[in-house]
Amino acid sequence: MKVLLFATLKERAGAPRIDVRLDGATTVAAFRALVAAQHPTLGPLLPQALVAVNQEFAFEEDAISPTDEVAIFPPVSGG
Amino acid sequence: MTTQPEYFDITTEPIDLNALQRRVTTPLDGSVVAFVGTVRGMTPGAREPVTERLEYEAYRPMARAKLAQVAVEMRQRFDDIHGIALVQRIGDMAVGEVVVAVVVSCGHRGGGAFDAARFGIDRLKQIVPVWKKETRPDGSSWVEGDYTPRPGD
Repeated sequence: MKVLLFATLKERAGAPRIDVRLDGATTVAAFRALVAAQHPTLGPLLPQALVAVNQEFAFEEDAISPTDEVAIFPPVSGG
Repeated sequence: MTTQPEYFDITTEPIDLNALQRRVTTPLDGSVVAFVGTVRGMTPGAREPVTERLEYEAYRPMARAKLAQVAVEMRQRFDDIHGIALVQRIGDMAVGEVVVAVVVSCGHRGGGAFDAARFGIDRLKQIVPVWKKETRPDGSSWVEGDYTPRPGD
């Protein structure tokens, strides 16, 4: 699946989106581990990063399926 | 005409405060409060007090949806407000430029619009997915947010 990145994560990856291989539904917690394994350069940023699923904040036990729109980004700093 | 006009935007264009005031003002309103956030060039006491520019980016569709959520929360807390405009500008901005506006109309000055605007900018800074990168004389870096979303945010 394509995963959207913003701010520090986008800059570290050098791209606004990355591919993450996902074999069926998982949890946000497991998804973080998958991203860290498949994209090691992002690893140090992932523990503090926020995950959004279908444009809502998602929490560690929430589900992610391969058809969801998933984004990873640092705590927001707008305004 | 609606008595509760709303306007939400994530835009690269300069923010027109007079246009926002007109958008939120209904025949019921005798007061409009605007919180206007600008690019601050000096932060006394900071390790590097001088800011040269700020560059903003957004997760646009989610950011727009979260602006609408902020407005819902404002109405839940402040019964007597009427119009709400929430606008975040993104892109590269110089010191003094307007970055964000929260504009609220109300019948009277005591009707809650001041507190609603304050609540609105505080919530915007917590839940709207926007980030800024600061350029200083010593380099540039992303500004770290300090709010962790909770279920319901």
